[in-house]
Amino acid sequence: MSVNAAQAVFLELPPEASFLSLAVSAAETAGKAWDLGPGRTPRLALAVEEFFEYLRCNTPPGETLRLTLRRRGPALCAEFRFRAKSLDLRAMNFAAGIAPEDGREMGLLLAARFTDRCRLERRGPDGFMLAAEVDRDYPQAEPLRQAPRLQPPYTPLDHPPGDILRHAAMLAAGRYPLRLCPHGFSEPGRLLDMVEAGLYDALVLADAAGRPAGLMLWRAPAERLSVAFSGPYVLDEARDPAIARGLVEGFLARVARTPAVCAVSERPTEDLPEAYFEPLGSVTRTQGGEAVEQRSYFRALREDEGASIWACAELEPFLRQEYERLAFAREILPVEPDGGEAHSLLSTDLDLRRGLAVLRPLLDGRDLAANLARHVEALVREGAPDIFLHLDLGQAWQAAMAPAILAAGFQPRLLLPHGATSDMVVFEHGDAAH
Amino acid sequence: MATPRTDPAAWNMNTLLERIPAHVREFECYVPSRPDPVLMRQYGVSRLYRLNNNENALGPPPLAREALAVLKAGRAAQYPSGDSYNLRQVLAARFGKSAERFLVGNGSTEIIGAVIKSFCEPGDAIVTAEQTFAVYEWVARFSGLETRLTPLLDRALDPAAMLAAVDGRTKIVFLCNPNNPTGAWWERETLEAFLAQLPGDVVVVLDEAYREFVDDPRFPDGMEVMERHPNVLVFRTFSKMYGLAGLRVGYLCGAQELVDVARRCHIVYSVNIAGQVAAEAALADDAGHIAATRAMVAQARDFLRGEFDALGLEHIGGAGNFIMVRTPVSDTLMYRRLMRQGVMVRTMTNFRFPNWIRVSLAQGEAMEAFARAFRTSLDRE
Repeated sequence: MSVNAAQAVFLELPPEASFLSLAVSAAETAGKAWDLGPGRTPRLALAVEEFFEYLRCNTPPGETLRLTLRRRGPALCAEFRFRAKSLDLRAMNFAAGIAPEDGREMGLLLAARFTDRCRLERRGPDGFMLAAEVDRDYPQAEPLRQAPRLQPPYTPLDHPPGDILRHAAMLAAGRYPLRLCPHGFSEPGRLLDMVEAGLYDALVLADAAGRPAGLMLWRAPAERLSVAFSGPYVLDEARDPAIARGLVEGFLARVARTPAVCAVSERPTEDLPEAYFEPLGSVTRTQGGEAVEQRSYFRALREDEGASIWACAELEPFLRQEYERLAFAREILPVEPDGGEAHSLLSTDLDLRRGLAVLRPLLDGRDLAANLARHVEALVREGAPDIFLHLDLGQAWQAAMAPAILAAGFQPRLLLPHGATSDMVVFEHGDAAH
Repeated sequence: MATPRTDPAAWNMNTLLERIPAHVREFECYVPSRPDPVLMRQYGVSRLYRLNNNENALGPPPLAREALAVLKAGRAAQYPSGDSYNLRQVLAARFGKSAERFLVGNGSTEIIGAVIKSFCEPGDAIVTAEQTFAVYEWVARFSGLETRLTPLLDRALDPAAMLAAVDGRTKIVFLCNPNNPTGAWWERETLEAFLAQLPGDVVVVLDEAYREFVDDPRFPDGMEVMERHPNVLVFRTFSKMYGLAGLRVGYLCGAQELVDVARRCHIVYSVNIAGQVAAEAALADDAGHIAATRAMVAQARDFLRGEFDALGLEHIGGAGNFIMVRTPVSDTLMYRRLMRQGVMVRTMTNFRFPNWIRVSLAQGEAMEAFARAFRTSLDRE
């Protein structure tokens, strides 16, 4: 066991029952050391127990299980890395094991119920990572509905002091609908921890008296070519467009010389100056039982030199229309479903607080249509009405899945250039809740 | 899809990558543009006007062309002069200085690397502008140095802000004069006042890549300035006015002591024979070439200013063979729309000018092609 800068603990464990208690104990110790709290720590320990038991039973002799317990800002994360060799990956589907005849629930489904987020990721040719996160509790802050009277000029603060950031978050929470506000706006301590941990970057514009006039947030998801932004949040009474422009120009200047090739909206507000962005379309999000159209915006940060992508004939009309509209030069290479292996594998990012699930293909399989149907059924039952599927057009085997995805009731809604290893299509399930 | 393979090498790759320095891991790898035929195929065009790199549309001066034309293929088997001996003699005669005070490199970018490696170590800082030639910042960042960037003032380098950013850890200040991409420049008095206030133990790189495009007596001559301020290193290039961008030749000149230090971290033999020969010849008959280039640039600038004014668009065009215009759409979208019509410009997001494009100034045909494509692109709004 080793500890890295007090932010992570690494264990390499033999897949034997006698080491279960060590894994669980490590999770409990990490929860205590990193202030997860007595009410939340058992959730992490339960996830570790569940994952270890499944992986232990399915790991061949000679293999080891690598467990990392990591502090990621407001959350503690348990990550199991393992190799797929001889493992029945079918059972790693979120929806696996929920059929009545199986008699028990396991894996991601069970973990999802007592953690805040969980996911399965592919790491290399035969490596996988199974992860669960549990958030710390933070005190709620009342949104501030009275905007201060501001005084130009406005100055950008790259690393805003905690009290300014907290103030900005509370003001934004009082001015923008809940769906446009990250969780950290109602719990500013969470936002501060996320910024400190580098999970979010924040830009605040301060007025002449040092009061927050605007806020922009962005994050760079691991191994993606894009940055996802929220905002701009304009905090003055008159909603001065100069503040929104200052935030957007400041944001673009700060990401322009990073590895990101594009910026994509995560929570675009109505103050977004559209001249800086390209509308991608919209998806439907559920808010208080109501369906709300959320527009999506994109912006390349570099010159696009064209590319080739894979696509099935069924998806080609949608792609050609979007590429023409967005003026992207793309060569569409035809691909057809080939059936692949018997069983498909999907990863599921599940965020029950937001009622949101995102599916991503990890392995193709002849059971894909049925597998998708099982996932939709399970996710709706678990309380995730908004179900999306992200398809990487840089992977021929993924592009070949389109007919099965369409047949399962998903519709292509957005084409996101450079959203994956190449361009990505965002499918939305049409019958989940809308 | 096939069943995943067992691959221990790949399994260990993540660990290996985690051990590389953070400043390298976080650095954006520069992606050069693809060859013209590839771009033309991708964008479905049969002709491509390159207005993105500020190349001289007139090409090299006549004697440089002749020198290249008579260059024997057999010389490719020989190493070039490792320190560009003859070219340094020509430069020395041209500027009235010792040849030892010149260091020639494979473009100015190589010289930037040599200077940073020679004068800086981890923990040091460099100062430059937020909106200027990007290579100073890039090389400093992937060398593990702190980069202190100061905003422009009225589209020009801000001397007060740059002085305020200098402290005991600052080893080099990079001044791009005229500034790329705004074309603004410091007059002699501004530069002298700046140098007088700057501590003498800070190296000043005065990058004059576009100085030959300026025909104004108020423009300071770095070759003269360095004689009063021995901490000044002047950078010049054969890639812009002299039309030799494809051969990559740039050089620095400064106090012998500083050049000797920079030479220690400079790669010898990095400038090829063709580059050295063409650069020597280019200096021999540059007067007519410079006059013709200036006339072409002035005509093109006037034409585009008129176009942009007619469209009601803000533009910036000072010294240099380029002009910037603020577009009503994202610059990266404008780039794609123009590329679909066979015109390549430079997007300015990376220069921290979002929604601006920079257009190289060239002959009438290219300018008219750009103007047509630009108007067509705007009509889509």
